Amino acid sequence: MRDFRKVCWTLHREIGFLVVGLTIVYAVSGIAVNHAHHWDANYTRVAEPMTIEPTGAGPTAEVEPVVLERLGLTREQVKTTWRASPEVLQVFLESGGYEVNLVTGETVRRGARPRPLLFDLNFMHLNNGKGPWTAIADIYAGLLIVLALTGPLLVRGRKGLAGRGGVMMAAGVVLPVGYAVVMRLTR
Amino acid sequence: MRNLVSLLAALMIVAAGAALAGDKDKVYGKGVAAADTVRVSDLMANPDAWVGKTIRVQGRAVGVCEHRGCWINLASDVEGQTVRVKVKDGEIVFPPAILGDLVMAEGVWTANQLDMETTKKVCEANAKKEGREFKADEVTACMTLYQLSGTGAVAAKN
Repeated sequence: MRDFRKVCWTLHREIGFLVVGLTIVYAVSGIAVNHAHHWDANYTRVAEPMTIEPTGAGPTAEVEPVVLERLGLTREQVKTTWRASPEVLQVFLESGGYEVNLVTGETVRRGARPRPLLFDLNFMHLNNGKGPWTAIADIYAGLLIVLALTGPLLVRGRKGLAGRGGVMMAAGVVLPVGYAVVMRLTR
Repeated sequence: MRNLVSLLAALMIVAAGAALAGDKDKVYGKGVAAADTVRVSDLMANPDAWVGKTIRVQGRAVGVCEHRGCWINLASDVEGQTVRVKVKDGEIVFPPAILGDLVMAEGVWTANQLDMETTKKVCEANAKKEGREFKADEVTACMTLYQLSGTGAVAAKN
């Protein structure tokens, strides 16, 4: 038992150091995406109104080059354009774009800037990159399980599983289990 | 034991490096697997005929959910016509940068019959967006919203 506890100590300590960075990534991003219904955790939006000389609502093939010229854009800068309605031409760029009212000339320059740091944390947390990051996330989850299983065995006595530690652990287990039961019964 | 953990750390760092070397095409969710692509104009010409079927559509992304990235609008081959691809919140997140990209999306074609109250709200929102005056009395029939319940998509850069 003493040897087993020693193995637990070593595993818990070494893995504990290893997962500090990843735990912060997942925890900070977890709070951010938990409130996705309140805000866009990844991007800040920019919408700047401006006006260009109206071209009139002519055929797209005719008005499009004029609009690009009046916006000071070259064809190479443009991903694509879209005639959203007879009055509106949308211009999409690599970063953002324009929404032009062909009749009034009223234009909105739209853009989205990735939030510093948070964008990257969310990218990892949501595994948007897939591929090897899936393996990293799986390994990290496995390591968390090892931490969870070795942690309660580190301390003996009143502060361990047989005492306060056991009560704390039970509370931590009851919380999700209780929630799951209530959710099942009420949905 | 310590060596094992160190080796694990090294492997994770190497994998992280490989993860950054992504492909050109961006795959969302389960990607696409259906054999044929249905033209958006064909779909919209007779939308009821496709309800419940798993289909693949293709078009330039011309609209994206600004809040959660939970839908995109794909441009039709007919000017002004779009089709909405709705995905489960959080499962797939379309970024703003997808706008203008050529997107192939797959999912089940669905029809949602709206009640009169919701129909009026949708009509009011559309009128506001298009700068038209909204007259509630002129809305006399309930609306059916068609969309693709998307399971996956592939976006290709220009």
